[in-house]
Amino acid sequence: MSTPKTEKDLHLPQSRVKTIMKSSPEVDAVGPEPLYLVTKVTELFVTDLAKRAFKNSKNNLLEYKHIADVVQEDDTLDFLREIMPRKITVRQFKEIMAKKAARGDNSDETSEESSSEEESCDESSSSNNSQNS
Amino acid sequence: MAEKLEDLNLPLTVVTRIVKEALPEGVAISKEARTGLAKAASVFVLYVTSAATNIVKNNKRKALTGQDVLEAMSDIEFDRFVEPLRDALEQYKQTVSAKKLASGKKKDEMEEVEMVEDE
Repeated sequence: MSTPKTEKDLHLPQSRVKTIMKSSPEVDAVGPEPLYLVTKVTELFVTDLAKRAFKNSKNNLLEYKHIADVVQEDDTLDFLREIMPRKITVRQFKEIMAKKAARGDNSDETSEESSSEEESCDESSSSNNSQNS
Repeated sequence: MAEKLEDLNLPLTVVTRIVKEALPEGVAISKEARTGLAKAASVFVLYVTSAATNIVKNNKRKALTGQDVLEAMSDIEFDRFVEPLRDALEQYKQTVSAKKLASGKKKDEMEEVEMVEDE
């Protein structure tokens, strides 16, 4: 916790963070205090994401897929899902499409068909509900 | 205003440095992982900004405050950042007021503030 540096504890340039914040149509002015905090929390976020992603790494190499896996598994990171999709091979893609076609293809759910690995998220009211298969 | 589109991205080198500090020494980070993390960070800035401005709007205020940013963390379920952020804000305020006091004089680095606030 207690990092020895008191001042200059930021890495990211606040000017750039400010530019990004102001690119939002709802923001016209950004004071120094909120700017500092947004910069700070973004650094915390990067640190946190990198550490979690690294847990998925087997050797000493952090790769894109490790990050994408964290993003796809944590619902609070939903806002990143579009920019950090899991990459799949062409063959996997074809398999998914084939399965979709076989099923009749009338689900508007799009894309969340995670083929092989079961990611069924029925933790809410799964009291012996016999689902149609 | 952002003149160029690149201005809306956080600098890759700086993000990489943060990542390196977060990970054990000697870990390699693939190019794609670097750009991915930098992109994620840039989007995170906007995400937090929008959550914080929502709070401002709901309270019918105009200006964004530090408190709004803190509260936004809970709204987007990043509660784990609230505590470290609150500490950072405390330190920031102290640094600012110390700077005000010391302005004019030679810059005297504050002695290390050792406040152990536990709740």
